Amino acid sequence: MNIEHVSGFKYRIPKEGKMRVDAAFYASEGILEDLKSEDYASLQQICNVATLPGVVEPALTMPDIHWGYGFPIGGVAAFDPEDGGVVSPGGVGFDINCGVRLLISELSREEVDSSGGRTVGDPQKNRLADALYEGIPSGVGKGRKDTGFGKKDLEEILVEGVGALVARGYGEQADLENIESSGKLPGADPKEVSERAYRRGVSQLGTLGSGNHFLEVQYIDEVYDEEAAQAYGLSEGKVTVLIHSGSRGLGHQVCQDYVERCIGAARRYRIDLADRQLAAAPIESPEGEAYLGAMAAAANFAFANRQLITHSTRQAFGSAGFDSEDHHFRVLYDLAHNNAKFEEHDSREVLVHRKGATRAFGPGNEELPERYRSVGQPVLVPGDMGRYSFVLAGTEGAMSETFGSSAHGAGRKMGRRAAKRAAKGRNLRRELEGKGILVRAANRATIDEEMSEAYKDATEVVDTTDRAGIGKKVARLRPLIVVKG
Amino acid sequence: MIRMLDHTADVGFELEAPTLEALFDEGRQALLMTMFEEPPKGGEGERFVRLSGPDRETLLVRWINELVFFVQEEKFVPAGAELRIREDSEEVLSLEARLVGVPLDLEGHGWQGEIKSATFHGLDVTPGNEGWQTRVILDV
Repeated sequence: MNIEHVSGFKYRIPKEGKMRVDAAFYASEGILEDLKSEDYASLQQICNVATLPGVVEPALTMPDIHWGYGFPIGGVAAFDPEDGGVVSPGGVGFDINCGVRLLISELSREEVDSSGGRTVGDPQKNRLADALYEGIPSGVGKGRKDTGFGKKDLEEILVEGVGALVARGYGEQADLENIESSGKLPGADPKEVSERAYRRGVSQLGTLGSGNHFLEVQYIDEVYDEEAAQAYGLSEGKVTVLIHSGSRGLGHQVCQDYVERCIGAARRYRIDLADRQLAAAPIESPEGEAYLGAMAAAANFAFANRQLITHSTRQAFGSAGFDSEDHHFRVLYDLAHNNAKFEEHDSREVLVHRKGATRAFGPGNEELPERYRSVGQPVLVPGDMGRYSFVLAGTEGAMSETFGSSAHGAGRKMGRRAAKRAAKGRNLRRELEGKGILVRAANRATIDEEMSEAYKDATEVVDTTDRAGIGKKVARLRPLIVVKG
Repeated sequence: MIRMLDHTADVGFELEAPTLEALFDEGRQALLMTMFEEPPKGGEGERFVRLSGPDRETLLVRWINELVFFVQEEKFVPAGAELRIREDSEEVLSLEARLVGVPLDLEGHGWQGEIKSATFHGLDVTPGNEGWQTRVILDV
């Protein structure tokens, strides 16, 4: 593979063969070594993306790049509808609008964790952990019946997103201000969502899921940028809650349905696919428009999912003895890392696919809430459950270099089966308790496969992102309680 | 023959079997090996499946996704199957199956994790030394 070093942490792969544009990626020396050790398989995937019609230069990957299905994880690619640009369901992923939401509170770490993590049996902390685990369904097959939502409710939620839940009393109007796109992607068309997707979604709204999805109670342990931290309302020692979840079975079904439909469309429109999972249709085609309508609907489901989990989180804190007047939980920000959105970049409207990458709009952008506009959009980068997560800020560098995009997480370095083998004979729950982290999980297999050692250290991704100028470090968060499916 | 894959970020399996029906049934078995530490065998419950697709690969993806749906949404583990695959025309393959199985028991079967979908990534169902072969990657 022909890789050119552009400057600092930026590299370019000049177009060759069927590539229509150059590819570019961001990496430290360590990340570059990892890419080399896999024979550049992930970079080959972004080169495949660069062959799709209407792609705008460059096709990109973020520092948390790893091998995916069609698009690499960490992939960003923009397509121009006026240039025959395409939309690819695989470029969004099965978990449409999977993302993270950070809640911040007025609680201090000592109020939740009075022993500083030294006492496993801390009654307050355990009471809170139990309340969260019982209040938020997680794991396979766990649905919700408490909301009583039927298909009609779901249709409205697919169109209106978070607003439909706030109107029903699940959250506060102020929550909407700090959610990407105000918690509603326009253009959602519930008619383009299949019956099976509805069937899978109706009981899963407000559930966490499993695998690498989680809810984590954390505290802010270090602030790197005082100005941004102040704008966001972050200060050391304050308690936060990070929620990672997506569109559940509804989104998975929408993606399944449309990957197949777009494989057929690609044949009809003579789109040459390097990988069938890159199946695509012209944005301005019946198939493309149908997918965008269904994708927006699934995206709104995901926003609504995190809203209902937020509501349950507030309730769980209440039942554990923290009134809303104590915690004042508010949404710092909610952003997605799997979607396709129409955005203006370099004075043209393009459809930006982000697959395991987050939007990271820089200072001055009018889409941002007023209080954040001077410092840029919050960017949330979860790490693993044993170490830390990060808050960054969007930058002008991201706007000019990466279609306003940044990294989304740490990335795995160990396969799931290997992780389970490594966990044999160990009690990971006990190990985490020894670090002051309580775990509540639906089953042991999830804890094992999500062990810290299975993930790269998020610090390397975040430091590379910061030094590359595509995201500025603001604060680090450490876990106190982890809830997993 | 079933060989489980263990790469960094993906889960999947390679299959080789003398007939297409045997290959698809191996796909069922491999899926259960991915989902459970101790996949059940046999059972009293019964389900019927009818699927079709324009090619072998699409049919295989639909088959595996149907099985995922049975486990994760219907709470039915398809522990055994009798399948028939027919070429109805040049562009249509159809599959009929009778599944036997048991109710989902997360603890008893040793639940290993949710599957989002079978993917088309690198998927080809092709003639091999033992009849038919394929490699399936799952999104988890």
